[in-house]
Amino acid sequence: MAQRHAKPVAGVGLRGSIAFRLAVGYGVLVAASMATLSAIVYFGTVGVFEHSIDNKIMNVEAHLADAWSRAGRPGLVREIDAQLHDLIDTDTEVVGLVDAKNHVLAGNVGRWYGELPPTGELAFGQMERNGVPVSVRLIATRLDDGSRLIVGRDLIELDAIRNVVERALLVSAAVSILLAFFGAQLFRSRLEARIVRIRRTTARIAAGELSSRIVVMGNDEFARLGDDINRMLDRIEALMEGVRHVSNSIAHDLRTPLSRVRSRLDRALQASADPDALMADARLAIEDIDSVISLFDKLLQIAALESGVRAGTFEKLDLAGIAHDMTELYEAAAEEQGVLLRFSGRQTVIRGDRDLLASALASLIDNAIKYGRSGSRVDVEVDTVDGAPSLTVRDYGPGVPPEDMDKITRRFYRVDQSRHLPGNGLGLSIVTAITQLHEGTLALRRADPGFEARMVFPKA
Amino acid sequence: MPNCLVIEDDTETRDYLCSGLRAAGYAVQAETNGEAGNRRLQETRWDVVVLDRMLPGQVDGLGILEQMRARGDGTPVLILSALNSVDERVRGLRAGSDDYLTKPFVMSELLARVENLSRRNAWSRDVTLLQVADLQLDVRTMRVTRQGTTITLQPREFRLLEYLMRHEGQIVTRTMLLEGVWEYHFDPQTNVIDVQISRLRSKIDKDFSPALIHTVRGAGYVLSAAPTYGPTSR
Repeated sequence: MAQRHAKPVAGVGLRGSIAFRLAVGYGVLVAASMATLSAIVYFGTVGVFEHSIDNKIMNVEAHLADAWSRAGRPGLVREIDAQLHDLIDTDTEVVGLVDAKNHVLAGNVGRWYGELPPTGELAFGQMERNGVPVSVRLIATRLDDGSRLIVGRDLIELDAIRNVVERALLVSAAVSILLAFFGAQLFRSRLEARIVRIRRTTARIAAGELSSRIVVMGNDEFARLGDDINRMLDRIEALMEGVRHVSNSIAHDLRTPLSRVRSRLDRALQASADPDALMADARLAIEDIDSVISLFDKLLQIAALESGVRAGTFEKLDLAGIAHDMTELYEAAAEEQGVLLRFSGRQTVIRGDRDLLASALASLIDNAIKYGRSGSRVDVEVDTVDGAPSLTVRDYGPGVPPEDMDKITRRFYRVDQSRHLPGNGLGLSIVTAITQLHEGTLALRRADPGFEARMVFPKA
Repeated sequence: MPNCLVIEDDTETRDYLCSGLRAAGYAVQAETNGEAGNRRLQETRWDVVVLDRMLPGQVDGLGILEQMRARGDGTPVLILSALNSVDERVRGLRAGSDDYLTKPFVMSELLARVENLSRRNAWSRDVTLLQVADLQLDVRTMRVTRQGTTITLQPREFRLLEYLMRHEGQIVTRTMLLEGVWEYHFDPQTNVIDVQISRLRSKIDKDFSPALIHTVRGAGYVLSAAPTYGPTSR
């Protein structure tokens, strides 16, 4: 056979790669979870901090407004001083009173940028403190005399916290995206490597190396897939082998009868042939053609059975009943050969096709009578083996040579010593096919003396 | 003269069928497709129909058969088919055919089966006392006598004889016997049926004259008082 080289297996592009898509999908999922977590962390830290600052500002403002309404401007100024010297948050507190012209009347308010927010509204702003602009959170309240009370906090601490948290989040986001990306690459290359092995093998097979098999390692999904593919290949190879064998056999088995027919017809064409010889030739030619037809019929039957099209003819039936009928049918023929045919068994229900089972059994009994020695006996038995219905046919003849045991179910195979007997070597192939159609197994063994065929069926 | 309708698209097979059936004494008409066959079936009363399973055109053999049975037409039908599988046979019988034969067929087998179908109405299960010449069989008492002498038969031999007697003067083939007596349908590879017949013969014919069970070379057997089937060959 010509060795063709397998085409190198092409890889898939990044976008077509299932591994890449899986990994990216996974990365996106990770990023989304990270974003959710980050939002929770951010609002759980910075948000809480902001909220507590606002609370403190509002408390101070309420306290001072209270002083204003109780004791007027002098009282308010006193309170502002007290607030700034109470040693609580003094470095971040911003408190002050400014007049309508924005002159600072009391407190530690520095120069601010932009407009003050309208009365009663907490807002962010910029203010000069110790000569540097800082961001502040403040509230400005217009008092009855036109002056304004300013209460606020500078946000140095908050900004610091916010910076730390944001940086941490940014870094972790970058790291997770990188991890997802490299993970995807790794993921992809691992998958790719596993798949390439399988694809190389299949490419080799496609190129005609039917005996290649996938190397199976471990027990993951790919190993199992490889196993399945290997099993499929075994089956295909066996079928190919069978087809080759059958076509050779057909060519061989048909040649003889066909050439005989041809020569007879040839002879019949010669004018000198006398009518009697003509008749005899025609009759013999018909017999030869009949044997060819029956050969084809059997081959077709095997093909139909092996294609496993479960006949719609399966029903519950009694295996022992069929065995009993067939024994009875063959009893007389066995006796003529000097063989005692006996049946034993109890009612055993299986699902199957009555005619197919009967013909398989007939074929086995036929073999047993033919190959068992005359003067001996053949036992047909229906039994259950570990709860599975079984049907056994056993003879006590010379049996089958050990070297032929694995070949006897092959189509057209005939054990040397039986070549003189009628038959075409298809009997056991048909029995095998019928057994398989019933999801059973056919076990053949050398019984010593003799030969035993046992069909074991699944429970009905 | 029984009339027979053949519906078969293949010219050679059709001619072969017609000439064989005519030689056997049937008045034969033939049609080549389902539509024409269907019309013919409704115009005339037939004794037996030989119907090809695969026909060109809209209606195939099983279609024709199903329509016939739906119309209440109970004419015996023999299906001819190139499809030889248990499944196909069962489908044919379920569609209402009375018998089924696969191509390539042997004319003698076909004739025996057509004969069996066209005579179906002639013998009835109600007849329980069968008689051919001096051989008597009583279905109810399971008693067989010849010239008044009781003959002891095994149950299966009895059924075999009953079948032959109910088909008196008709050729019955080995597969017909396997179907009719053993109720199995497959091709018995060896001479099992022949052995069974020869056993029956030894009980029925051996000590009596004339022989009633005749072998028809290449076809099967016939039980008849008339020695028209030539010398018996064993």
